[in-house]
Amino acid sequence: MSMQTPKELGGLQFGLMDPETYRDMSATKVITADTYDDDGYPIDMGLMDPRLGVIDPGLECRTCGQHSGSCNGHFGHIELAAPVIHVGFTKLIRRLLRATCRECGRLALTEEEQAEFRDRLVRTRELGEDPNDVLKAAVRQARKASRCPYCGAPQHDIKHEKPTTYYEVQDVLSGDYSERIASAMQPDPDDEDDQGTSPQELAEETGIDLARVNEILAGEFRPRKDDRRAIEKALGIDLTEEDMNKLMPSDIRDWFEDIPDSDIETLGIDPERSRPEWMILTVLPVPPVTARPSITLDNGQRSEDDLTHKLVDIIRINQRFMENREAGAPQLIIEDLWELLQYHVTTFIDNEISGTPPARHRSGRPLKTLSQRLKGKEGRFRGSLSGKRVNFSARTVISPDPTLSLNEVGVPDRVAKEMTQTMNVTERNIEEARQYVRNGPESHPGANYVKRPDGRRLKVTEKNCEELAEKVEVGWEVNRHLVDGDIVIFNRQPSLHRMSIMAHEVVVMPYKTFRLNTTVCPPYNADFDGDEMNMHALQNEEARAEARVLMRVQEQILSPRFGENIIGAIQDHISGTYLLTHENPRFSETQALDLLRATSVDELPEPDGRDDGEPYWTGRTIFSLLLPDDLSLEFPSSTGDTVVIEDGQLIEGTIDEDAVGAFGGEIVDTITKVYSETRARIFINEIASLAMRAIMHFGFSLGIDDESIPDEAGEMVDEAIENAYERIEELIETYEAGELESLPGRTVDETLEMKIMQTLGKARDSAGEIAEDHFGDDNPAVIMARSGARGSMLNLTQMAGCVGQQAVRGERINRGYEDRTLSHYRKNDLSAEAHGFVENSYRGGLTPREFFFHAMGGREGLVDTAVRTSKSGYLQRRLINALSELETQYDGTVRDTSGTIVQFEFGEDGTSPVRVSSGDANDIDVDSIADRILEAEFGDEAEKQRFLGEREEPTNLSEHAEPRRVARGQGVQSDD
Amino acid sequence: MVDVNQHNLVPEHTVLDDPERVEEVLEEYNVNKTNLPKIKKNDPALRETDAEPGDVVEIVRNSRTAERAVVYRLVVE
Repeated sequence: MSMQTPKELGGLQFGLMDPETYRDMSATKVITADTYDDDGYPIDMGLMDPRLGVIDPGLECRTCGQHSGSCNGHFGHIELAAPVIHVGFTKLIRRLLRATCRECGRLALTEEEQAEFRDRLVRTRELGEDPNDVLKAAVRQARKASRCPYCGAPQHDIKHEKPTTYYEVQDVLSGDYSERIASAMQPDPDDEDDQGTSPQELAEETGIDLARVNEILAGEFRPRKDDRRAIEKALGIDLTEEDMNKLMPSDIRDWFEDIPDSDIETLGIDPERSRPEWMILTVLPVPPVTARPSITLDNGQRSEDDLTHKLVDIIRINQRFMENREAGAPQLIIEDLWELLQYHVTTFIDNEISGTPPARHRSGRPLKTLSQRLKGKEGRFRGSLSGKRVNFSARTVISPDPTLSLNEVGVPDRVAKEMTQTMNVTERNIEEARQYVRNGPESHPGANYVKRPDGRRLKVTEKNCEELAEKVEVGWEVNRHLVDGDIVIFNRQPSLHRMSIMAHEVVVMPYKTFRLNTTVCPPYNADFDGDEMNMHALQNEEARAEARVLMRVQEQILSPRFGENIIGAIQDHISGTYLLTHENPRFSETQALDLLRATSVDELPEPDGRDDGEPYWTGRTIFSLLLPDDLSLEFPSSTGDTVVIEDGQLIEGTIDEDAVGAFGGEIVDTITKVYSETRARIFINEIASLAMRAIMHFGFSLGIDDESIPDEAGEMVDEAIENAYERIEELIETYEAGELESLPGRTVDETLEMKIMQTLGKARDSAGEIAEDHFGDDNPAVIMARSGARGSMLNLTQMAGCVGQQAVRGERINRGYEDRTLSHYRKNDLSAEAHGFVENSYRGGLTPREFFFHAMGGREGLVDTAVRTSKSGYLQRRLINALSELETQYDGTVRDTSGTIVQFEFGEDGTSPVRVSSGDANDIDVDSIADRILEAEFGDEAEKQRFLGEREEPTNLSEHAEPRRVARGQGVQSDD
Repeated sequence: MVDVNQHNLVPEHTVLDDPERVEEVLEEYNVNKTNLPKIKKNDPALRETDAEPGDVVEIVRNSRTAERAVVYRLVVE
């Protein structure tokens, strides 16, 4: 425990590790490839040496003396018989080889050039750009030098054969040098003046001894470099060929050791921390056993971790290498073993190197080695660090419950009994706490654990609960069950926007599903066809307070995406308000009170009039009861009329999707912005309740007969389609006669296709119009389409009139057989029915051929959605990663973590979309804001004072404790 | 050659010649020069100007949300 003193991280530095450091921190050298001996004990200096840490419970670590669980394990090391290249650095090794001198190791740049690059490095760091680009540029320039600017040694090109072999490309004397010289000395047969060159002349010209020249010509003597150059110059020939000189890792290590620190700094590498020769491994760290635990199978056999297997391979080859070298084995064998050692170390680090066959398990499965543990979705970073499994979470199917508030969530009792909240026992809640404990873990508002001030945790059981309850004192902690009014976080994946995770208040309920108010389906994009959601119980007061203030559903009514409400009435709610307000029906007192039963309204206003002496109230009057008293609004509805609200009274117009719907319902939006989130929550809750009552009052159902049209209408549809067919026939005739005029930018064929598509589109539309004319305004499908509750007029057209042209990739169906879509048609038939026009309606039924074409079109839709979701998911991931660290600062600028400004003012205007009141043209409605402010300013003095006092409505009050009627500002009147 | 500054979608770029103005901007946003957004010296919009690396360019553009938005960029190589 004393090891766990809190420490502050000053910084993190990444670099290479000195082989000496490896040796220093090593707990033991590992020399034996075996793990356990016959008795099952780990072998000393083997891969499971007890000094490397313990995994078996009960054993003691030989290095730190701790037991498994508290000992983190210790590194060991393997002394490699020969240096090998670290695969992670092959690119950097290649760059350094190319940039530095093979003789003196200096960077092949003059002092001035180096100074320039050092300056550039400083600037790049200041600008927050990638210093790697400077390194690359420096290497590119250094590589150009043919000679070292310091020692003058000629530089050779370096060839890199992936993954870990490097060659030096040198020019050496060609094997057939004598033949080349001889043929160059022969007289040119095409040129009479050319007498050839005699050996004497050659000797004179080059200054080489004549005897030596003869020896060279005979192939008995290989000319030295200087002599070769002289001969080449005299005869104008090239005597060299390219030779590849393989650089062994030991050569590279020697080379890198010569590079001076100052030159390394020029490249942006810190020589103190990362000497380049450390990229060539001479000693290999052995991860502690805790990082590669072996598992005992059921049959008592031990199964080792992939890393252990790989280490076994490395040690075996390492040993064979040493034995062979000591025995004086031929160079060829040594090189083979060296390569094998390189392979094993390479795959130990990364087993997915291209060009290298992955090391496999006996079963043929590729081994998961070091980099495979880190990479990818299931890797250490994305799988274990960014994404973790958590306690205090629950997941189950969701189902609707219209009696809940939109802030609430129904939690099954069996979930509530499993998830706990920590209660700090004080003088004031000790009785309550004792009662929880007394109830035990099985009955609902109970407790599962108690914690004594000394830190000891006791489990509450059915047996000890009574006894334990008496012991609970001030200062204890009680982990009690979730109860009504607790705040929890609720989430549905995919979490695409912030409204996918919201805080709800708990209502404990029987049965097994989470229950939601249906109005919160849009933000979660949830439905009840089997969707599951996750719940998280919050574990400290700070989290609970933050969740309540910032994350509660009512705080999320406005979407930052478009600045309007995303929560509002949906589907049947909209049909309900439509029925209630469209024709402004009359209701008797009983009916009116019944409609308002589930709301907080329990008194009716003055009746709107009397029918045969009986008072009646209109639908609009009833709706108006839910509106704030001073609300005035005017806007067009989606039904087509204008909604006029004056002083909280709906004067005229239909309440539909544009008024109360999710995604920008005008009234909900205004109430949220002008009044408060709490008022909006109450309004949405009550609208939903009223609408459900209304739709139940009228009754709302849809059957197949609702889509049928009279026979004469059917005939008219047929006629319209017949007309279209005739026009298409004419089009095809003009086309075949070659008289069709092509549209600009299109071929004649394309023009014909377009015109046919247009004609058929019109045919379907006119079929739709005919069908529409024959539907009554009280047709449920029409009501839904007009009010925006569900479906469209197009859906209706397709059900009653004509389904229309089926399309694949935006064209008529043109695929299938050679020159035709199906074998039922003649080849090159251009007619409508041969290319997927469905003239029947869904209600009437499709012919088999129409059905087939329809399936083709339908398939495309399915494929599109599947492709779109995966594409957009990836796009979103990349966007989130790119933007995740941007933050709006208190000065209004948007900056990244390095402080670089991205936007000088958030969104250029520095306003949050949800705080801006937007009108139709998306302009800020300055007038109405000014009006409101003036009104407040010049109200009576007391009101003004209150205005200046800036009293904000508390947002963190639990809805649970508050009776819903409070919000209307009316006192509760009891019935008796 | 086409002068992109004549195009109506290219906002107005002006080099801040006065070091005091630059100082003011840096003060206003409490930043180092290097924390400003960057613009390349060879950016077509700077071709007609004599901007050198290290200069600060003021860009005034039309904004969908604020009508007029002023941003500053640091000229880099």
